[in-house]
Amino acid sequence: MSCSHECKPDWNAYLLGELGPADRRRHEECASACPACREELATLRVTLDALATLREEEVPRRIAFVSDKVFEPRWPQRMWQSFLRPSFAAGAVIAAAILVHAFVRPPAAPVPPPADTAAIEARVAAEVGQRMEAQMTAAVNTAVDTAVTRAVAETRKQDDQRTAALLSATERRYADAAEFLDKRVTQIYALNSGAGVR
Amino acid sequence: LGRLYERSQHLIFREIEDLDLIAKARRGDVEAYNVLVSRWEKRVFNYLLRLVSNREDALDVSQETFLKAYQNLRKLDDPARFPAWLFRIAHNEAFSLLRRRKPETELAGEPRPRNIGGRLLPVELSLAVESALKRLSEDQRETVLLKIYQGFKFEEMAEILECPVSTVKSRLYTALELLKTTLAPTVLREES
Repeated sequence: MSCSHECKPDWNAYLLGELGPADRRRHEECASACPACREELATLRVTLDALATLREEEVPRRIAFVSDKVFEPRWPQRMWQSFLRPSFAAGAVIAAAILVHAFVRPPAAPVPPPADTAAIEARVAAEVGQRMEAQMTAAVNTAVDTAVTRAVAETRKQDDQRTAALLSATERRYADAAEFLDKRVTQIYALNSGAGVR
Repeated sequence: LGRLYERSQHLIFREIEDLDLIAKARRGDVEAYNVLVSRWEKRVFNYLLRLVSNREDALDVSQETFLKAYQNLRKLDDPARFPAWLFRIAHNEAFSLLRRRKPETELAGEPRPRNIGGRLLPVELSLAVESALKRLSEDQRETVLLKIYQGFKFEEMAEILECPVSTVKSRLYTALELLKTTLAPTVLREES
């Protein structure tokens, strides 16, 4: 072996794409300088290529779940999700606002402070930004809902097509078998009745 | 506003991702879960098929895997880790089956791949690969399935198999060494 393996090559990691660019280069240099390393690399590559010939099999029948009571969340969970959680959240926000207002309320000033237009503008901009974000989030959710509905419909359509194809193939097979049997019965009948005997 | 517009465009025109389906399924949307299943069933079925070596068992275990995944979907802390989490469930279900049927399916009598003189047909090579995979231990075979056929990273494999990355690597490398000894001579002989 002409390679001293000072670089300690890990050809598995190299072929599995687990090395960074520097390590890959180091391995490539090692392979170009050492026939034994080249042979090792080639053998491993052949093995991985052979493994890649194993094809994925189709699932014999689709795995699907129905909208069954068993899968639905229990009523306390549904209540919590649909009504109680938002209510609690809203209540908490209002309570927090009241508390904050009570603690940070400035003492009554005889003279109202001059209006800070820059601050008002910033607040308005922030409010607009928040509202727009809320609207966009709502739009995104609607888009996601639509797309999920479309994906469900497509999956169903593919199922129907697959079922129709299987049904058609089975019918063809049965028709062929029936035709074959029919011919055989006719032959046997002909033989038994003497018509087929020469 | 420009940034907001860009973000909204990105969100509206992106594909429906597994994360969306997981979020909907977590809220009890069975149809969204069925779409998620249709995306993953082939990979899970093939992984289980190579692991338990029986189509009916693989289908039953796949069904069981997806049912358990649905029932425990709320416990999934980080939905981005769904693939590794799903395969962890599949792994547990498969090994539970393998433990139950251990005494009746020893591979000792399994014939070695034939020493084929002529050119190998693709189907013959596939059979040789299948046979070589069956000769590995279950632990070794599983690392090959997860890495070569499912493309998981070593860290994800460690999570699925609940063992250190070093163990995963050691099992995989031993398995590849054994496969190399079995498969490479057959392929190289027919090429020469």
